[in-house]
Formats: sequence, C-alpha cells, structure tokens
Amino acid sequence: MLRMEIALFLVLAFVAYIYFSAEKRYTGLHRTFSVLLVVVLLHLVFDGITVYTVNHLDTVPRLLNDLFHRLFIGTMILVFYLFYQYIAILVDEETGKLRRLDRAARIYLVIAELGDMLLPIHYAVTPSGNYSDGIHVTFCYLSVAFYFLLGTGLLIVNWKQMETKKRMAIGIVSLVELIVTTLQGFHHTWLISGMGITLITLAFYLILENPDILRAELVEQKMSMLYLKSQVNPHFLYNTLDTIRIQAQINGDRKVADLLMRLVDFFRLSVKVDRPMVSLDDEMELLEAYMELMCYRYPELTCEYDIDPELGGALVPNFILQPIVENSLLHGLKNKGYRGNVTILARKAGENRMEICVRDTGSGFAEGKKAAVDELLRDYAKQAPKLEGNSIGILNVQKRIKLLCGREYGLSYTENETGGVTAHILLPLEEEIK
Amino acid sequence: MKRLRVLLVDDEIMIREGFKRLFDWEAHDCEVVGEAADGMEALAKIDTLRPDIAIMDINIPIMNGLKVIQLARIKHPDTAFVIVSGYDDFSYCREALRLQITDYILKPVNYEEFGTCIDNLKIALFQRRIPARENQQEERTIEGITRYLQEHLAEEISLSVLAEEFHLSGQYISQLFKSEIGVNFLAYLTNIRMENAKKLLLSTSLSVADISERSGYGDYRVFTKVFKKAEGVTPSQYRRDFLEEAKNFRD
Repeated sequence: MLRMEIALFLVLAFVAYIYFSAEKRYTGLHRTFSVLLVVVLLHLVFDGITVYTVNHLDTVPRLLNDLFHRLFIGTMILVFYLFYQYIAILVDEETGKLRRLDRAARIYLVIAELGDMLLPIHYAVTPSGNYSDGIHVTFCYLSVAFYFLLGTGLLIVNWKQMETKKRMAIGIVSLVELIVTTLQGFHHTWLISGMGITLITLAFYLILENPDILRAELVEQKMSMLYLKSQVNPHFLYNTLDTIRIQAQINGDRKVADLLMRLVDFFRLSVKVDRPMVSLDDEMELLEAYMELMCYRYPELTCEYDIDPELGGALVPNFILQPIVENSLLHGLKNKGYRGNVTILARKAGENRMEICVRDTGSGFAEGKKAAVDELLRDYAKQAPKLEGNSIGILNVQKRIKLLCGREYGLSYTENETGGVTAHILLPLEEEIK
Repeated sequence: MKRLRVLLVDDEIMIREGFKRLFDWEAHDCEVVGEAADGMEALAKIDTLRPDIAIMDINIPIMNGLKVIQLARIKHPDTAFVIVSGYDDFSYCREALRLQITDYILKPVNYEEFGTCIDNLKIALFQRRIPARENQQEERTIEGITRYLQEHLAEEISLSVLAEEFHLSGQYISQLFKSEIGVNFLAYLTNIRMENAKKLLLSTSLSVADISERSGYGDYRVFTKVFKKAEGVTPSQYRRDFLEEAKNFRD
C-alpha cells in the first residue's frame, strides 16, 4: 500500500509543480487551492509513513506511531476543511452570497484538531493488515461527514445559480468523497483515504484550476483592461480638448488655443487610421499637424514642404511619414538641440513611381550606424517583430511598404553632403480613383 | 444692408460662448439675438426671434438639428442654416445637402475662418436678391461689377482695374461691396473664384494646376492654401471626396 501513497504523492507533486509555475491571478480561490495542494502533499507524506508504522507496531515505538497517526488525521481534517472552504469560495464567487457557515467551519476545525490531538488511539490488528479504530477514528469520520454535509449543502442550496462546470466539480468531489469514505468505513484495512483526497484534488485541478483555464482568465482580464483603455471615446477626447481650447481663447490665450487646435487635428487624423492605404494629402495633413506641434516645442526647428500637387491623390501606406520624420528628429536633430530643418519632398520618379524624401540637417549617422541601418532595412524580413526600441518605427514602415506595394519599393537612407541624412521612400504611383 | 440676426444652437455652453465672444459679429454686421441648447428650444426661438441665420449643431438633445431645420423650413423659408458638425458625421452631410442648408462648418470651429462662412452667406443672400430688383441705378452698378468679375476671374483683378473699367473710384467700389453685399471686395472675389474652382474640380478632369490658373491663381501653392482654408480640404481631396461619395451613391 505504501507504493500507492508514493505514486499519489508523485502525481500531486507534479500537479503542484505545474500549478505553481503557471501564471495566474491571485484570488481567494486560487490561494485556497495553493494551500490545499501543499496540505494534501504533506498529508500524503504522513499517510505513507502511517501506512508503514501501523503495520510495524512492534518495531516502531508507540509514541512515534501515535504522533504520526495524529499528524495524519490532523492534516486529513485540515484537507477536508479546505475542500469545504474551496467550495464555499466557489459558491460565493458565483452567487455573491455571504459565507455564513465559515465561522462554524472554523470553530469545528479547532474542536476537531483538539480531538485529534487528545483522544486516545487504538490499533486493531488483523491478519489482512492493521488499522486504527475506536473513538479517535469515529471522531475523524464525523469531521469528514461534517465538512461533506456543509459542502454538499452549499451545492444543493445554490444549485440553480451555479455555472454547470462548477456544479459538476463540486458534484464529482462530493460523490468521490461519499464513495471513498463509505468504502473505507466498511473495509478498514483498505486505507484508501489518500486516494480519495488525491482524486478530489485532481478533480478541482482538472476542472477549475488547470493552467489553460488560469491563463485564459488572465488574458481575459488583461484584454478587458486594454479594451476599457481603448474604449475612451475619441469624441470625448477631442470634444473636451476643444472646450478647453475655446476657454483658452476666451481667456485671451491665442497661442494655447492654436496649439490645442492642432492637437485636436492630430488626434482626429490619427484616429482615422482604418484603411491600409490613404492619399498623400491625408498623410501630409497628419504630418503637418505633428510638425507644427514639434516646431512650437522647439522654436529653432523648421519644416519645409515641397509636394507636387499632382501627387496629392496618390495612394501611400497609411502612417508612414510621421514615423520617418520622428526618426529624423530623435536621431538626427535631437543631437543638435533640435536646431535645424526637416524638408519633405514628394515628386514623380519615372512613369509610374514616386519618391518621397525626408531630408534633415541633423547630426547624421554615427560611425557604423549607416551600415547597421542599411542591413536592417535590407533584411527587414528576418528581423524579429519588436515592440520597442530605436528602429521599430522604420522597420515597421519598411515592412508595410514591402507588403502593401511590393518588394521593389521601400525605404532607404542616404547621407547628405552638407550633413544630416535623407530618407527615400520609393512607392508605386497609384491614384485612388481611376 | 441691414444687420443680420443670428441664433446660436448648441447643447454645449462653451461652444455657444465661443461663438458669441470670439467671433467679431459687429465687424460682420451681425448680432447674436438668442441661443438654444436643444432642438425644441431652437424651434421655439426660430419662431419668436425670426433670425436670418441659425447656426446649428446637429447632435443636440430632444430633437436633432436636421429635424429642426426640416420643421423650421416650413414656416421660415428665408432663414439660412449653417450646420456645425463633428468631423466624423459626414453621413449627415448628404441629408444636409438634401435639406439645402446654406453652409456647413466643421468642428473644431476656427473663429477667424468663420468670417468666410458669414461672407459666403451674405453673397448667397445677395445673389438670391438680384432677380428681385432691377430698376435702380445703384443695383445695376454692383450687378455690372459682379458680372464683370465673374467673366474675368481668371485674370488679375484688383480694385484699381475695376475703377478703370467702370470709371469709378476704387474706394467707392469698395464701399459699394460693403453696403450692397456686406462683404469686402477681396472676400467676394475669393468666393467666386473658389466657386469656380469647385465647379471645375467636379465637372472636368483638368489638373489642379490648370484649375488654379483658370481661377485666377498663378501659383498652385497659393491656390491650394486658399482652397484648403475655405473648404477644409485640398482641391484634390475635394474632388476625390465627391467622386467617392458619388460612387457610394451609385452602389
């Protein structure tokens, strides 16, 4: 029988390992289950020891035998208390009812543990194996029955309000508990309590606590947070900004009013990103709003545009210019204290191509940086998707151009003779409406 | 030119305050005679105050702005309506056109540019009046001038050119515009040039540069800037939006 205890212990230890290494939320329910796992493992250890000692009454000192027996029964009562507690929290989460029986359960736990420590133990010796009997064991059965009744009672009372899965978990657990205790009650030498407890713990684990479910819960929670964040109505945002703008203007602060106006423009335009391709005019509008705000923040920064008006309707991948310009500002002009100029040019390059250039008078590429950027842009497909970092912007632009327009188009950088760099974006010339 | 009476309709007090205090009504020969914060109030105020112009938000409580216009039109066909709408309610615009509103402006409202809108209203009112009066000498002068402008808008025109053509002083012509139409000469000229450009953008496939030239702007950059200021979009966007709208309508 000892072998079974060892097997059960190993199975649950494995479960505990998976459970504790899984990412999860820290709710009362999961905490209770964690405690339960630890106590059950402990219980199985004592179970194993007791199975050995009870069958070696003559070699193991009586005192040691009693001690392990009391620890075995003590942890068992605690396990059943935790089973009840787990069910109670489950029901509580589902129905929102107060757990009025908690106090009774706790008081009984103290009584049961006291009884376990103080009541005399008697061992029955039979040819098919030894076991303990008498008042100590009867008391233990009583405790199990008490928590069993509390748990099943909760299930029956709240049957209708429970989710099927949870109902099933509690149902299976109660059934296992009932069958195992009954069998153990009739066949004292079977010593299957450890198996019953393991089965119950496994049932909870498989139905309610397995890592997939925990992860799904976690993801759901994160998603709903993101969802809520992104659900701030954009209309609310720019209507409020607009109200502030009007107030500023009424107060006579023209500059603040103008800046808020541009900020509203920028938000409004960047919220409109629902199409993969937009007209160059739309793209320029967003860029102008952005640049105007930046030039206000850095008065020595200037910006010029030279856009062929015939290209106004040409389609470009959405949101490609702002990241490139931002890149020029952060890596070129920032080093010069934002003193300098950014020029945006758009012109035809051959029959059905166009080129957009972003030329800055910044600090230019640092030693070896040009080669690194060239490589990054050439081997764009090999780059792992990054979520942050310096080159995320240009890499993203490169990937989208290649994807949306074709492999022969894309982004490249050259160094200016007079200092600074120029970004060249080569694109096919397509009109929105032919 | 009598002073125009204006009713402001918006559910947000700050927007109404903005209109009231940040736009120079005096300089545009207008006065704000009342405000309303919802559709019912707007309808009642239009009845009692009889404004020449109602500036209406569409998204207002109780009854939306378009419904108000529809109902008010029955009793007050001469009231001009200017719709103030959020950028994303373009779907409203089709219905707005059906209701023949006089003009619409987009939020956020730029109060300086709102003057153009008022000028356009005055020009529209003037053009509506033309057939009604024909006998007086004065009217013929202004009509002659406006007809001349219409025919020569691709050329370089200034007050002095007009003065020479009509044997009048530039100052007199300038005053004539102010008293007859209520707008200054340049605003009028820009208005008809823009109207011409819009017509060409929608009815021809001429390039923006060509249209710019035919509308009296040698430099397309200046033209694009002026057009964008007046219409909120660039000339090519304007053309595209229309074609897209037309396409959606067909579908």
